[in-house]
Amino acid sequence: MLDLESRARIVGRRLRPRRLYNWELSAGLTIVGLLLLAALLAPYLAPYQPNQVSVLDSLQPPSWHHWMGTDFVGRDVWSRVLYGLRIDMLVVAVITYLGLIVGVVVGTVAGYVGGWLDAIIGRLADTVIAFPFIVLVLAVIAIVGPGLKGVAIGVIIAGWALYARLARSEMMVLREQPFMMATKALGYSHLRAIFRHALPNLVRTSLVYSTVDVVVNMLVLAGMSYLGLGQQAPGADLGSIIASGQGYLLSAWWITTIPGAVLVLFGFGVSLIGDGVTRGGLAMEAL
Amino acid sequence: MTQLLRIEGLRISFAHRTGSTDVVRGLDLEVNQGETVGLVGESGSGKSLSCRSIIRLMPPHATMSATRVEFEGRDVLGLSRTELRAHRSRNVGMIFQDPFSCFDPTKRVGEQVAETLRVNVGLDRDAARERALALLASVDIDRPEQRFRAYPHELSGGMRQRVMIAIAISAGPKLLIADEPTTALDVTTQAQILALIEQLRRESEMAVLLVSHDFGVIAQACDRVAVMYGGHVVEAGPVDEVCAQPRHPYTRALLESIPSVESAGRRVRRAGIPGQPPNPAELGPGCPFAERCAHVRASCREVDMSLIRVTEGHLTACPVVADSLGAVATGVRP
Amino acid sequence: MTGESMLQVRDLTKRFVLRRSVGEWVRRQPGETHAAVNAVSFDLARGEILGLAGGSGSGKTTLARMLIRLVEPDDGSIVLGGLDVRALRGHDLREVRRRMQMVFQDPYSSLNPRLSVGAAIHEAGRVHHQPGSEDAGPFVARLLDLVRLPAAAAARHPRELSGGQRQRVAVARALAVGPEVLIADEAVSALDVSIQTQLLNLFLDLRDELGLAMLFVAHQLSVIAEVCDRVAIMHLGEIVEIGPTAEVFHSPQAPYTRTLLAAHPRPMALADATDPEPT
Repeated sequence: MLDLESRARIVGRRLRPRRLYNWELSAGLTIVGLLLLAALLAPYLAPYQPNQVSVLDSLQPPSWHHWMGTDFVGRDVWSRVLYGLRIDMLVVAVITYLGLIVGVVVGTVAGYVGGWLDAIIGRLADTVIAFPFIVLVLAVIAIVGPGLKGVAIGVIIAGWALYARLARSEMMVLREQPFMMATKALGYSHLRAIFRHALPNLVRTSLVYSTVDVVVNMLVLAGMSYLGLGQQAPGADLGSIIASGQGYLLSAWWITTIPGAVLVLFGFGVSLIGDGVTRGGLAMEAL
Repeated sequence: MTQLLRIEGLRISFAHRTGSTDVVRGLDLEVNQGETVGLVGESGSGKSLSCRSIIRLMPPHATMSATRVEFEGRDVLGLSRTELRAHRSRNVGMIFQDPFSCFDPTKRVGEQVAETLRVNVGLDRDAARERALALLASVDIDRPEQRFRAYPHELSGGMRQRVMIAIAISAGPKLLIADEPTTALDVTTQAQILALIEQLRRESEMAVLLVSHDFGVIAQACDRVAVMYGGHVVEAGPVDEVCAQPRHPYTRALLESIPSVESAGRRVRRAGIPGQPPNPAELGPGCPFAERCAHVRASCREVDMSLIRVTEGHLTACPVVADSLGAVATGVRP
Repeated sequence: MTGESMLQVRDLTKRFVLRRSVGEWVRRQPGETHAAVNAVSFDLARGEILGLAGGSGSGKTTLARMLIRLVEPDDGSIVLGGLDVRALRGHDLREVRRRMQMVFQDPYSSLNPRLSVGAAIHEAGRVHHQPGSEDAGPFVARLLDLVRLPAAAAARHPRELSGGQRQRVAVARALAVGPEVLIADEAVSALDVSIQTQLLNLFLDLRDELGLAMLFVAHQLSVIAEVCDRVAIMHLGEIVEIGPTAEVFHSPQAPYTRTLLAAHPRPMALADATDPEPT
């Protein structure tokens, strides 16, 4: 006798999934996708070896043979930019998302457990955040030695803290939610409560923030390489290519301008994705 | 009795990407001077939105239209911006379910009452303070000087609602709209607040429009009641009569669903209403209750939901009931 | 209908420390405490529905949460089937929580928004190795049927359901772990009257079908009056009156019970209206 009609007919229509795509997201994904494709296919797209020296062809302006010209020892700038982009994108993805994973897990656990553990992790994260980012990275490079490894370790050490703090504050809110209380009442283990119920609900904020972080880390990486602390010669990355061309800024503008433009394009694309995700709620549906 | 408020053919719809959804679908309502009218309905019936139309306070993306909304014979829909402000501040007072969110948490409550008086009534600082204290006393707040200096969080829910009432009546409104004023309160406090509203109504001869999902509250406090379902008034009439002889299947089913203290220990199992409340986006033409109604007929899907008089002042939107009682559709308004 | 006593609560107490003054803090004096629940005792029998009524701040929710130690009691004892609940830790505590399930007030937030109805119900059963839980489909379908929802509901997410349906899902999830006691903490308070009735009937059915004992926490006296066998009235952290529902409601002894009953709005003698019904 209990509402037989509603048994036959489940009320409420299926909600159509929210419209995931908006122009920001589409444009951002297109830009970053193309750059990613270019980086992945670098061995096939690059007409020359990135480190192939040809002194006779040095400082050629863009032409049919060298789309983006050559640098002061005749290396093909287009090939070097492709390979540089390849290594930069790989390193940035690794350092940003390794930092995110560490930070989100640590922050979530701290917020869930509370008490002294939370106090220690919270203070630690605050300390790291209070420290100037670049100084911390430089300090790590000083210990590990120049090279991409040093930059990567430095950025991760500095980068996890923000994610930890984000995740921790989200967890504090989530902890009071009845469905988190329900995990306790249902006799679920803490691991299950944290990883299956809490994490998926709070990772969205961190993912959105990571789109900003990717751009920042890309610039830090390029900056370090520009200063000679990142990618070491003769290896190519966007920062080191720009550095190598700065002596010829007026005579051979293409050496610095083209990798710089690629950097800007990448940053623009990632920011668009960030805006799009915020608006469309993609992260919520896709995860 | 003189008519104070008259709403005819009110429609409120929400715009969204794929079109718009009508939440209120042609509502008629009338309030006379000095009477208490109840607007009862379940969540999503459109009752809160409807009463907001009186001061043209619509949420974003919502638009209202009506054949007429008249307050003391003046067309509310045609008011200019300045006139509307005067209408909102002088003619109509409003109180809500959650008084806490209506206060500025960083200001003393007394100041907030006084501020309303300065802005809406145009009193100077001292006069406003004086009058605010008197108002606090008039809503039965003891030691008003002390309460004047309290912050909102220092007051209990019932006390906050009293202050809210003080603000609402500060300009001497002719109509008090009380939107679920006691839902967040304990029964004992609820009884006090209802008694206070009744007392103020008698003293100042203002009319009260009480919106509630709780038929018990409505029955206790109102002279007349309009029952809303799916954006329509389905029945209206004197509260005793509607309760004793409901003339719409929804009203009847709703009343029969309400548990009562009297049946304690008798193990009654109430029939309830099968199914779920309607989703405004899915409602087609005809009676919105048809889908859950035990007496549904094919013709119910084409009913125009205009109200039919069954006895003097008692109206129903159900032609099936009206026919069985031999009533004739007269097209009258409640 | 009711059987032997299965849950005994004795002198259960929870104190909250009020703000300490600077002086007290310096002198390391304990702050002033406020007993949210003060020496509360009651028994719950198999197949019995015990109502717990009281205003806000009466301590009824704190009491309900202490039973499964979502809130840690300061004093007193909770014994479930001979087991001292307060002494348990880890796995044993989780097992006791399995045996005493809770349905929360707000069905909008007591379900994880990311899990489908089926996933939420199945997870609960699988975690506690409930019979039949190896096979998700039939297991979920059986539980949905128990709360009168169609099996098709399994694929839905909470946001696609109405309030009443969500609360049914919450009940199904609680039943999935095979509890003996169901604690309904204001489980119907947020629902519309017509939906409330459906849920109340569901609770009555579940008691009959599964022999569950229930602690039914509510602030609406009339709801308690119609579903509970016995009722306990709480005021300021104490049970001021406890007894068979009819007795307490028809001849209340405690002054507070009388105040509550007097203030309760009476929706008239309408249920007995004997009007000709349209056919």
